Amino acid sequence: MSHAVPADQKWWSGGKSPFNVEYGKVMMWYFLMSDAFTFGAFLISYGTIRFASNGWPDPNEVFQSFPGLGSGLPLAFVSLMTFILIISSVTMVLAVQAGHAMDKKAVVRNLIWTIIGGIAFLSCQAWEWTHLYHEGAWWGSNPFTNMDGTKASTNFTNFFFTITGFHGFHVFSGVIINIIMLIMTLNNVFERKGHYLMIEKAGLYWHFVDLVWVFVFTCFYLI
Amino acid sequence: MSFTDNYQEVSHHHDFDREAARKEVIRVTVILTVITIVELILGFVMMGVHNEFMRHVIKGAICVFMLAKAFYIVAYFMHLKHEVRNLIMTIVVPLGLFIWFIIAFLTDGNSYRNLKNKYDPYHYEQSQIKVEKPAKSDHGSHDAKKEGAIE
Amino acid sequence: MSHEASLHREVVTTHEVHHDEHHGHHHQETFITKYVFSQDHKMIAKQFLITGIIWAIIGGLFSVLFRLQLGYPDQSFPILEDILGSKWAAGGKIQPEFYYALVTMHGTVLVFFVLTAGLSGTFANLLIPLQVGARDMASPLMNMLSYWFFFIASIVMIASLFVQTGPASGGWTAYPPLSALGDASEGSKTGMDLWLVAMALFVVSQLLAGLNYISTILNLRTKGMAMTRLPLTIWALFFTAVLGVLSFPVLFSGFILLLFDRHAGTSFYLSDIFLASTQKALPNEGGSAILYQHLFWFLGHPEVYIILLPAMGMVSEILTTNARKPIFGYMAMVGSMFAIAILAFLVWAHHMFVTGMNPFLGSVFVLLTLLIAVPSAIKVFNWLTTLWRGNLRFTPGMLFAIGFVSFFISGGLTGIFVGNSTIDIHLHDTMFVIAHFHIVMGVASFFGMFAGVYHWFPKMYGRYMNNTLAYIHFWITLIGAYLIFWPMHYEGLAGMPRRYLDVSGWVSFNQFSGLNRFISIVSIIVFAVQLLFVFNFFYSIFKGRRVRTQNPWGSNTLEWTTPINPGHGNWEGEIPEVHRWAYDYGKDGRDFIPQTEPVGKNESSH
Repeated sequence: MSHAVPADQKWWSGGKSPFNVEYGKVMMWYFLMSDAFTFGAFLISYGTIRFASNGWPDPNEVFQSFPGLGSGLPLAFVSLMTFILIISSVTMVLAVQAGHAMDKKAVVRNLIWTIIGGIAFLSCQAWEWTHLYHEGAWWGSNPFTNMDGTKASTNFTNFFFTITGFHGFHVFSGVIINIIMLIMTLNNVFERKGHYLMIEKAGLYWHFVDLVWVFVFTCFYLI
Repeated sequence: MSFTDNYQEVSHHHDFDREAARKEVIRVTVILTVITIVELILGFVMMGVHNEFMRHVIKGAICVFMLAKAFYIVAYFMHLKHEVRNLIMTIVVPLGLFIWFIIAFLTDGNSYRNLKNKYDPYHYEQSQIKVEKPAKSDHGSHDAKKEGAIE
Repeated sequence: MSHEASLHREVVTTHEVHHDEHHGHHHQETFITKYVFSQDHKMIAKQFLITGIIWAIIGGLFSVLFRLQLGYPDQSFPILEDILGSKWAAGGKIQPEFYYALVTMHGTVLVFFVLTAGLSGTFANLLIPLQVGARDMASPLMNMLSYWFFFIASIVMIASLFVQTGPASGGWTAYPPLSALGDASEGSKTGMDLWLVAMALFVVSQLLAGLNYISTILNLRTKGMAMTRLPLTIWALFFTAVLGVLSFPVLFSGFILLLFDRHAGTSFYLSDIFLASTQKALPNEGGSAILYQHLFWFLGHPEVYIILLPAMGMVSEILTTNARKPIFGYMAMVGSMFAIAILAFLVWAHHMFVTGMNPFLGSVFVLLTLLIAVPSAIKVFNWLTTLWRGNLRFTPGMLFAIGFVSFFISGGLTGIFVGNSTIDIHLHDTMFVIAHFHIVMGVASFFGMFAGVYHWFPKMYGRYMNNTLAYIHFWITLIGAYLIFWPMHYEGLAGMPRRYLDVSGWVSFNQFSGLNRFISIVSIIVFAVQLLFVFNFFYSIFKGRRVRTQNPWGSNTLEWTTPINPGHGNWEGEIPEVHRWAYDYGKDGRDFIPQTEPVGKNESSH
């Protein structure tokens, strides 16, 4: 035959998944790929506008408040948010691993922690948004000046609220998915199926939300 | 009717080493925490640095750490490292499109600024005027709001 | 990682296990589950096709209307006022706002609703499970949802035609600031919002569909169907799906930012604007309209290949089947499609050479753009060599496939002109560009689609379409399309702009008034002939000649091993196993050897 024989005959010859995973996981991965392009487009747009501007506000002046401790604390609150999300990711991994071991109790426990983490993150975000709103920041309104003291355009807040809002929406839907997983676990749906693959897919989504935060955190709060 | 309900594409064996997996999770958690702390330290250091070049160096370092964190999350938390090599390639290779995506967009953003500053000198002058920092009270006003903004 | 192996689960895909159980019991299908909310990929394909046909008639009708205006700028047609009302066609003349709405909706409808959803929606659904040997898509439910999202998008888009201020009219690319400012024009008001909502729903539909196509092709191939044995249709549809999944989200982001600019007072795309209609300077500052163009064309260019690749794949299949010869250069075909898929993502800004983008960046885009000529040329030569000394059967499908190659060549060559930024300075926004992309992407893809419909109609409905009507359809469309678009090259080279509703004010373009009239007359004739096709299509569904043999074209691929009218599940009994590639035509003295036949001991290699 004129066409090459596939080198990896075992995986690609048909009749089975070449990736050793069921189709749902393949779909979830490629969905996350496409969602990465959604977020990528947002963040790259942010970068483009920032490169097109003569000045940009200093994140350390904008994000410097901590509930109960007042202001003058740059990076403090967002560090808390970041750690909450990392820890909730860890509990999600533990839930997935417990699922592998068919350990229902551990799945339930870790899912609950993950859900709590997600809600905590959303609460932090709600506080931060409210705080900024009271400072006069919103879509189409930017009370902060550029780092060099010149007048800033509104695009700093425009992008901040749009992108963190879109991320927050993902966290929110992730929490909903996790709650559904929790209910299904408690109803023994997965025990009956004999596997916890659904939790694995929910886990992928949850980690992706964490992954996006890594980029959002860097782009808006650090650099 | 659904055919997929009947698909038995995956069959398990449950003898995977949970203890080793748990250790790996702890290791990765520690790594992620350390990287985040280093990033925060760099962020604090940058507040005191006013040299443009040094600031760019620090920002570059932060971006490298960001990618490292992304790698650990995808590789271990999302388990990609333990998947079949082909799956890894189909995920990683398309991400390469981001390279040109980012370069082209940012280059053009930068060029937009330069062209505008050059051909619209009024815009450039205006963007160099320092403004009084508005006093920020907690009941800060939305007076500064632009027209047409959402309430 | 010592435990790496243990983290791997053993995965076994057992199609066969379930299929045998499957046929043990009967499914009760109601009218609703069979024809409306169907999860059968074949029915979903028909739904996409028929919705696409309805859209094509609407979109084609728009072009007839604005061609009337372009051909007869100083005549009035009172009947238009009777039909369209005095707002859009006062005194029987098409009003400027309406003209722009027509042009905009013509582009949107044809590009997205017909040539994306109608083309890849139809044939990916129909052919992927049938040709890879699967009972259905990986997720039939998501597949159904994909159609219904498309359906809702269609409803919203149709609704936008009937709002008081009219549908979107800022061009199918919806560039801001025109699209971002409701005060800027009639079409930028409600019509624009509905347009954006419809397109967002459309993106959701495309993602649901694309993810399904990819995972079906990867995971559900039957035994023996290695990737290198896939028919080229499947490869093409695979790359199409990949393009869609990676580029539509970027458009989606761009639209979200646009919605914020419209309704939340943001300035992502807006800066330094004075609105003549309200005599007001806008406060928006710091945005960049070029950013939107980048985001739009990051989808917009892959979109061209989303439209073209399925046609390429089907044409490869139909040419080789009807030339009774193996496809020339199978791996080169796959490789060139792969190259096209990658390059599709790297060249988007060649649509923006004169919009204020950095000219040096533009020169990089010129280089990348011209690279596309290489894989495109490989494909063209492979098609021609497949035809060379073949035993050609001129079925309607075959004729349209050859027509596709013809249009792809003539339209592709002018791409080299406009791909050069220096020449583009002269040619941009002229009729030359219209001619270029209508031939290479519009007409060529339509020919691929017609080829596919004629070729696979027997599989879809168990009947043939009428050949006489098909031949009339082919010849008039082929000649007509060239007569419409060829002269536009000359008009464009002379500088005649596109998007203008009346160029008679320029002395330099008066020489074209006869030509414009000629183009308009031909386009009305060609449109009428498409209605003949539609008649043929629907008539043949009910009254066409019945298919009597399982494999009417003598084809190698798996879809012809199913019953003439396959039920949901496609094969009775087990799914056949595949033993060879799909292109053993005219081998060892045999006319064709189906993929299901094991390789014989004494068989020659090729």
